[in-house]
Formats: sequence, C-alpha cells, structure tokens
Amino acid sequence: MSDIASLTISDMRAGLDSKQFSCTELVKASLEKADSYSVLNCFNLISAESALHEAGQIDALLAQGKSAPLLGIPVGIKDVICTKGIRTTASSKILENFIPPYDATVVRKLKTAGTVSIGKLNMDEFAMGSSNENSAFGPVKNPWNPEYVPGGSSGGSAAAVAAGICPITLGTDTGGSIRQPASFCGIVGLKPTYGRVSRYGVIAYASSLDQVGGFAQNVKDCALVTQAICGQDPNDATSAQREVPDFTKALGQSIKGLRIGLPKEYFVSAVDGEIDAALKKAISVLEGLGAIPVEISLPHTDAAVAVYYILAPAEASSNLARYDGIRYGHRAKGNYDLKTLYAKSRSEGFGREVQRRIMVGAYVLSTGYYDAYYLKAQKVRSLISKDFQDAFAHKCDLIVAPTAPNAPFKIGAKISDPLQMYLNDIFTIPVNLAGLPGMSVPCGFTSSGLPIGLQLIGKPWDEETLFKTASAYESATDWHTKRPTTAR
Amino acid sequence: MISEDEVQKLANLARLELDPALTPIVTGHLNSIIGYVQRLDEVDTTGVEAMSHVHGSTNVLREDQMLEAGSVPDAVPLGDPTVPPQPMLDTQALLQNAPDSSGTFIRVPLIVE
Repeated sequence: MSDIASLTISDMRAGLDSKQFSCTELVKASLEKADSYSVLNCFNLISAESALHEAGQIDALLAQGKSAPLLGIPVGIKDVICTKGIRTTASSKILENFIPPYDATVVRKLKTAGTVSIGKLNMDEFAMGSSNENSAFGPVKNPWNPEYVPGGSSGGSAAAVAAGICPITLGTDTGGSIRQPASFCGIVGLKPTYGRVSRYGVIAYASSLDQVGGFAQNVKDCALVTQAICGQDPNDATSAQREVPDFTKALGQSIKGLRIGLPKEYFVSAVDGEIDAALKKAISVLEGLGAIPVEISLPHTDAAVAVYYILAPAEASSNLARYDGIRYGHRAKGNYDLKTLYAKSRSEGFGREVQRRIMVGAYVLSTGYYDAYYLKAQKVRSLISKDFQDAFAHKCDLIVAPTAPNAPFKIGAKISDPLQMYLNDIFTIPVNLAGLPGMSVPCGFTSSGLPIGLQLIGKPWDEETLFKTASAYESATDWHTKRPTTAR
Repeated sequence: MISEDEVQKLANLARLELDPALTPIVTGHLNSIIGYVQRLDEVDTTGVEAMSHVHGSTNVLREDQMLEAGSVPDAVPLGDPTVPPQPMLDTQALLQNAPDSSGTFIRVPLIVE
C-alpha cells in the first residue's frame, strides 16, 4: 500500500469503507510519515498512543458498517487549541508543561465526527508571527523548500497538510494566520466568518479577531473540516446563533454571472511581479468560467496594518496577563516577592515577539495614549469594515485578491525587523478587522518553485460563495494536485 | 519617541523584566512600531463610531442551573457533538498544572506579612 497518508478524504473514505485498509493502518501511515518528515518540525507533540487507541475504537465502528464523512480520518491540531489530557503549549515556554483538563469545542466536534488526532502542530508563540520562527520549539520549514518559511502563525498546520502527513488540520487566524501559511505551502485554508466557530478552549490572542479554521489539500476536504467545526456553542457567547449550511452543496455549482470585486488598493506595485502575474491569470480563469470582474475600491486598506498593530497587542496584553506563574504555567525558581515572581516568570516564559506585543499593548492602553491610539484604531476599524460593506452592497458578490504581497521568504530574512514582518499581512488583516470569511487557494508557483495563493473574501456568513468559487476555479486548474517532493 | 526610561517603565507595568543590555534594541523596535501606527492620525474619523466587535453582538444570557461537580464526559466518535455546560472541573486535573501545590491548594509566595 503506497503512501495512504497523503490521500484525499474521498479516497480515504473509499478505502476505509471498502476495508481496503483499516483506520489503524491509516493512522500508522500518518504517524510514520510525520516521523519521516521530522526535519520540517511540524509537530510539537505526536500523540501516537492515544491516536492508535482511538483508531482501534473507530475500526470497531467501521466493522459494524458505520460510516460518516470524517470517520477514521487522521487530523492534526494547532497547539493553541486545548486537547484534554494532551499537552498544549501555544509554542511557548510559559505553557511548556500545560495539560488541559478539557477539550476545546472544535476538538470535541472533530472527535465526535470520528477523526483521529495524531498530534499538536507547531506555530508562532501564542499565534504571534507570520513565519513560524517565533516558536519556543524551533521554526517549521516549508515542505517545498526547507530553507524557506512555511508562513505563520499556523505554519505546522499548513506544512503537515502540504507534506501529506494528514489530509486536514486545524489552525487559527487572527490577522492571516490560516490564509498566509496556506498560500505559502500551496494548499487550501479557510478562516470562517467571525462567530461561525466556537473559540471555547482556544488559547486567546486577540479575542475580537481570533477564529478557528481548517487546512486541506483541496476545496472539498476544506468544506468537510469546516462543516465539522462550525456552529453556535453555549460556552462561547461570541459564537453566532446561525444555521450552518451544507457547504458541500456549494461545490461544483456554476459561477456564471458572479461579480468578483478587484480592489485597486490590492493590485499595487508593492505586490511582487510574479504574484501579480499569477493573480491576473487566475482572474482570467474565473472570467472564463463566467464570473464578471469589477474594479472596486477599499479606500482604508493602507490603514489596516496600523489598526491591527494597535488593537491586537492591546487585546493580547490583557489576555496574556493571566500568565503570572501562580495557578499554571512556568514559575521562576527562587525566593521572590510576588511582583518580582510575576516579572521573572513572565520574562523567562515569554519569547521576544510576545513580550514586544505585550509592551506595545500596554503602551497604547496607557493613560494619556488611550484616545490617541486605541480609540482611534477602533474608529478606523469601523471605516475599514464599512469599505467592505459598501463594496458588497453595491458592486460585487465576493472579492478576489492576493493572499500575501510576496512569496515565501528565507528563514531568518525578516526576523530582525518586526515591522517588515508585520507588513506581510497587509492583505489578510483587513478581513479579520471586518470579521469576514476569507480563503486562500493555490494559484501558481514562482520561478523558484514556491507556491502562490489566491485569496477569496466573502460577505459575512457567506462561506458558500467562497466554496463555490474555489471549487469552480479548482476544477479548471491543476494547482491543487501539485505536491512537494523534495522535503524529506 | 519613546525613551529607554519609558520602555523600562512600560516593562514594569506589563510585569516583564527587561534585560538592560536589550533595552536599546527593544526601544528601537517599539519606536518603529509606534512610529508606523501614527499614520492613523491622517485618517479623518470625525463622527465615526468606535468598533469594539464585529456583527454587533449583544450579551447572551441563560437560566442558572445546578451542575454536578466532575469532568465533562469524554467525546465519543459519532456521539453527541454538543458540548454540555461545564460543571466544576476536577480539582486534581487542575492542580497537576500548578507549579506548586499542597493538598487541594496552590502554594504561592508570602503575600501579606
């Protein structure tokens, strides 16, 4: 049996249901593949024992003739999402030994859907980063070329799918942390509408922006994982009481007459030439499928990164105040008074980028600066959100844009200049600020063989149009079938 | 411009201990970030409402209910996906994460003399 771990969900489903292979064999294949790709550093923890135990339970269900879309499918979980009894670190030294006493809602949902988690995926510490270099457990490498970053913060989640270790993984997206790594690794990634997915049990970074979503090799698999995790949750008051449609029904539908908005602020000289060319080709493919390109304007685009780097650090400085070395997490060794113990525990436990953002947050929230920074940023956030509302109300049904202004960069290239790193998220951040669904699908390669992503941005709650458009695009192209071969 | 002294004060407010040798570098980074975000001064926000949350969420209320102490039942494949309301979490499961504990308590440094 050759490489069953890298099959699509449809093929795994067929193989499991026809008893061609068992769930235990499939999970073993996934675990072996994770092991053979250890150079990529995708995993903070591989939970082989619990995975094989769960696979045994699934095999019993399969033997009874049970079937369900995700029954027996191996998955990986970003290490910012709590898993009962399985270490969850957010890639931080401060949570190095943290064992959650409960499952996050999304984990519970995936388990009841019948998936088997093979481990916890590496990421930027507390989801702060765009390159996966800010991890206490070392950087993740891009499966297309291990000298390059896989994107971040969900770098491990994207690299594991691209390398064919498991067909679907969970990530989180606060300013682009699903879409940008999906783009950098040549796979599909969706950040659902804010409120579509419960954040209960997800370690908080910036609560008004954080959202969980899925990575997959293709659009259909992405629809299946998204379906499994969506829905209102009484344990998260910000999860929305809205019916979740059957996303698979959107697949294969015609996009004839669909108006695709092209924001002029996203097609600018700051975008790398090869990316611009790939995007223009993708747009002509969509046009060939009957979509109608419309130029639109999102006039406050240029302010989005600044708004984000006020609001996200402000929320983070508050959310991360809980790590004080008292109830759980790292505590500094030694006989200190309380205040010194806090400071020592936090400084030893948090990495540099996390400390930087906590300090920026403390600054913009401090007396005398609150109105000038925090309040101002909240007002500009309204304007950014209104830009999108106007475009959707009058001009277009969805928006098409680059996912990132540049291709994957070399490990180490931007790490010493935080601002340059932040600007990498210029096209993904506005979507979080407005709470919209956003997706990245593969749309080409650079001359050096690194993936390029096409971003689709939808109206609130309209993931269906994203799935419909992505599936039409996928059926007309073969980018999603390309897999890295050199990573091992 | 934020001075190195202000950065040290900020670190103290955030309960972080900043290595003096790193203070100039951290100050440089913070100034570059704060300098960048000041571009918002150029955006006219007269009469614009501050947005703290998308989709205009409101408070969600529910009836109080009595729950038995103990753990949430484990998720079962093809079982019920709804997450039951959380009872009190198991004390031992919580204490295993505490850096220092004694009996059913978390041990902390002396706070009041």
